[in-house]
Amino acid sequence: MMARPNHDTQRMDDLLASVTSDLLGELPQNLNGNAIHVERILLEMVRPDPVQPRRVLPESIHLRFHQNQITPTQALRELVQIVQIAARHRGRPFNNLLELLPNADDERDDEPVATLTPEEVFLRDLVNLATTIRDDGQVNPLTVVDVSQGVTRLFRIETGERRYWATWLLRDFIPNYTGDGMIPCIVIPANHSSVFRQAKENTARSGLTAVALARQAALLLLTVHGYEIPTYAVENDFYRQALELDLRGKREYTDAVLSAMGGIKRSQFSIVKSLLRLSDEALEMADRHSIEEGKLRYVVGVPAEYHAELVRQIIDFNLSVKQVKELCEGDGSEQQVNDEDDVSPSAVKMAKVTQAIQSTTPQEFARALVRQEGDTSIARARLQAMKKLISETERYLGED
Amino acid sequence: MTRSFVFTNHKGGVGKSTSATNIALGMVQLLRRANATNPRVLIIDTDSQGHASLITTGRKNYGADDSLYTVLMADRTNAPQTLLNCITQSQWDPDLHILPASPMLEGAERELTGVAGAPYRLVDPVSKIANQYAAIIIDTRPSFSLLTEMGLLAATDAIVPVEPRYLETVGLTSVIEKINDIREGWRHPTLRVSGLIVTKMDSRIRGHNHLLAEVKAHPVLGKLLLGVIPANEAVSYAHSNHQSLFTYNPTASASKAYMQVVASLVRYLLKGGE
Ligand SMILES: Nc1ncnc2c1ncn2[C@@H]1O[C@H](COP(=O)(O)OP(=O)(O)O)[C@@H](O)[C@H]1O
Ligand SMILES: [Mg+2]
Repeated sequence: MMARPNHDTQRMDDLLASVTSDLLGELPQNLNGNAIHVERILLEMVRPDPVQPRRVLPESIHLRFHQNQITPTQALRELVQIVQIAARHRGRPFNNLLELLPNADDERDDEPVATLTPEEVFLRDLVNLATTIRDDGQVNPLTVVDVSQGVTRLFRIETGERRYWATWLLRDFIPNYTGDGMIPCIVIPANHSSVFRQAKENTARSGLTAVALARQAALLLLTVHGYEIPTYAVENDFYRQALELDLRGKREYTDAVLSAMGGIKRSQFSIVKSLLRLSDEALEMADRHSIEEGKLRYVVGVPAEYHAELVRQIIDFNLSVKQVKELCEGDGSEQQVNDEDDVSPSAVKMAKVTQAIQSTTPQEFARALVRQEGDTSIARARLQAMKKLISETERYLGED
Repeated sequence: MTRSFVFTNHKGGVGKSTSATNIALGMVQLLRRANATNPRVLIIDTDSQGHASLITTGRKNYGADDSLYTVLMADRTNAPQTLLNCITQSQWDPDLHILPASPMLEGAERELTGVAGAPYRLVDPVSKIANQYAAIIIDTRPSFSLLTEMGLLAATDAIVPVEPRYLETVGLTSVIEKINDIREGWRHPTLRVSGLIVTKMDSRIRGHNHLLAEVKAHPVLGKLLLGVIPANEAVSYAHSNHQSLFTYNPTASASKAYMQVVASLVRYLLKGGE
């Protein structure tokens, strides 16, 4: 009988059942359950988390790497090129990555870290980590989440992305690697992982920049508001969706969110989150140079087109909090009127606002302002700046 | 450590591919039923004829970019990634994966023979992904060749399917010799011959019964005997429909016999290969 395919699952079940009963009795506990365990995993099966708030690679490399346009090896090659250019500019090109290490040659030894670009510092740290791994033979296990699907075996890094890059660097760029291309990992089943877990891990360790904290605040907020957290690299606008959200009405999550952020206060949370208003370029620079939240909060208060320039000045002149505050709250009105026949879009917008005064009340305006800024002190600062702008504007009206 | 079972016998048509593929599927299903976190099984098809690939995936025209051939030709550093790219899902079960064979393997064999390190071109990358699987099943071609050697070197355990007819002609002692040949001849002393499967057993044939009794009574072979699979037309029907025997007819006598073998192997796995 050439029977048709037989999908009799009941009979297959019976067949399996006929051999399972005695088998289950003997089954040791080691194979079942969703236990967290340590495993050595092929580097190629491990991937950094594209939405990890803590950025390890420079932004441009980060994005292309996560869009699968470049391999890990190519990503590192690009990083090395960036650093090579910076090193050449200072007249200190290197032939070999090991020369980047502090005591590799005496001349380099006394070079203050302050003169190095963030990429140079990063690569130098990676080389250092890589040689430690090579010489000591062991890497602290990474924490990874098993996100495999079907034949695609994949483990997403929760913590330890630097060790991951150091191991690739060691494998492909540093001589005398004798390892087998595998890396020890603590594997967390997918259903145990969460944005909260990752946030706690992140804040428990030092070195999270203000911008990374802002991204993390956004991820937490988006999560509690039921947004799907993507598994691919996202642009800043994804995080900026959190600007319209807050913790109100999410009482049951408030404590968890604040504690995942390292136990900060609610007002602080809004300020951190509001940093996402910075322009893309400003965010990137501020993150790369680890600019503090205390400075960035003032930059947020000026129109976005000045953000990048302000952050650049903070970096170049190493401005203090006080200086940043003065810079941001001080001028603003003067530069706008220089060009008589060319009115900026912001000015047009402001002029329009004067026509809307009838359609609102002070109470309502105040509420809207607080909601927009997520914080009363910033709202107040905004209003102050606006008052100043208005009174100065009057002067110019008279002249006309 | 993940165990990998190579199904080997230099004779063709004894049921190597039938046993390898059906046992692999049975393991997946039984492991899943036992709530194992990882019920995945990988079949590696080293036979250029690609029977195992054909019946589990419905095709055998794998080639330069998507088969074992690709892995063998990759450079050493890229071989593990190449292996990951070439593994495909079977049509039998989402957790049954396969590294397909290719007709191009014949050429690869000629090209690689005599190349230093060539016999290790399978075991090296496979060892790096083995822990993703509960077990690995390797099907071999019916001849001693470089590809069979690669298969044996990639295995921890050898399983030898034999037909009663074959036992009849060569005799029991010669089967044992053959097994020892594998171990010594292939310079793979840790390879463990962990099972003998008698296939195509026909109890209506008096000679078959007699031989089976002898195997069972034999001090070595008796211990190695994993199961006896009756000659059963369901096997060839399933085969020609590219279906597993279990799906085609779970109540067939051969299905029951294979399930017993699966149960012993799963028990062996769960005990960590003791
Ligand atoms: N128990 C069995 N009963 C009937 N036919 C079988 C049995 N086992 C295998 N066959 C058939 O024998 C042929 C050869 O089997 P196969 O598994 O391809 O052998 P090998 O891989 O050793 O060459 C196939 O047509 C298969 O369907
Ligand atoms: Mg075969």
